[in-house]
Amino acid sequence: MSATDELKQKLPAAVVSTGMQGNKPMAVIKKEELLNVAGKVKEMGFDHLSVITGTDYKDHFEVVYNFYSYNKKQNLVLKVIADHDKPEVDSLTSLWKGADWLERETYDLVGIRFTGHPNLVRILLPDGWIGHPLQKDYDMNTEQFVTIGEKGEDIVSTDGSNLLRRK
Amino acid sequence: MEEGGFRVDPVTIDTTKIKPAKKKPVTALEKLEDTGLINTVLAAREREGMILFSTIDQVFNWARLSSLWPVTSGLACCAIEMMGTAMAHHDIARFGMEIFRASPRQSDLMFVAGTVTKKMAPRVKQLYEMMPDPKWVIAVGSCASTGGPYIESYAVLKGVDLIIPVDVYIPGCPPRPEAFLYGIIQLREKIKNEGYGAKWGLNK
Repeated sequence: MSATDELKQKLPAAVVSTGMQGNKPMAVIKKEELLNVAGKVKEMGFDHLSVITGTDYKDHFEVVYNFYSYNKKQNLVLKVIADHDKPEVDSLTSLWKGADWLERETYDLVGIRFTGHPNLVRILLPDGWIGHPLQKDYDMNTEQFVTIGEKGEDIVSTDGSNLLRRK
Repeated sequence: MEEGGFRVDPVTIDTTKIKPAKKKPVTALEKLEDTGLINTVLAAREREGMILFSTIDQVFNWARLSSLWPVTSGLACCAIEMMGTAMAHHDIARFGMEIFRASPRQSDLMFVAGTVTKKMAPRVKQLYEMMPDPKWVIAVGSCASTGGPYIESYAVLKGVDLIIPVDVYIPGCPPRPEAFLYGIIQLREKIKNEGYGAKWGLNK
């Protein structure tokens, strides 16, 4: 019995659909049931949360969780559909400590907000960056530059007058 | 003339073609002329009043290009090729460049080796401003020259020459150590023609 079938058997109300993501079993689950399902997934032996990503489909966001079990040597993919206007899903930091930085990265680049995250700030881009670059409606025409402030902090500006050579 | 089965042809030597032995340089001026780099010393002697200036330019240029010390800084995969250039096989010690200084205060040259991201750009600029004059910059690879494959990225600077002046651009992704050496030789040619002496046409 594959991991998705087991999940469907244990929590039939939470699983929307199942399938394959490449060669990994995949299950789309309800957003409200995420913490419930994640707890069950951890009980099933998936001790490693390897990747969290997000995708912008213009009318909704999709958050993808990749799990791995070191004992069973099995993969599992969970997908959650989030609203496009207010993309919010529950944080998994209470179950997997490694979710901390992965969720910060997904917040930084895709703009998904994880409720219950202890420190949801940008991880790659500097604070003050305008927009989330992997969203489809990100403004590519306004170029943003970074300069160093007096205390060594990053300052984001759109004109770059302190950085660029004057000609 | 047969001796033991071998035939030996008589050899005639044309004594007029033998050049006299080169005179060994003794004085400091003769030694300078002997390097070949300072070849306008004689020409400058004939132009009274400009002797000192043009000669010092050339001596300084020669000294500068003979010991270019690069700053230890690498940004991406081009830095790996830079390390390869410094190793024994390609050996930039031949150009007096084997000492990668760990401090920009002691460096003359900066290799911008790799992708200059928006976040790294002010740091690269600060590093350049820390270096004492005279200083030179080589932009290594397509990323540092123009942005390269990341030209449409939101997070990459489109060429390091937007923030600091660049002397030599080395194309490649990443450039091989041979390309590095060619770029270094181009920079040496450039340094050789710097200063007022070159502007007045004295550095021939």
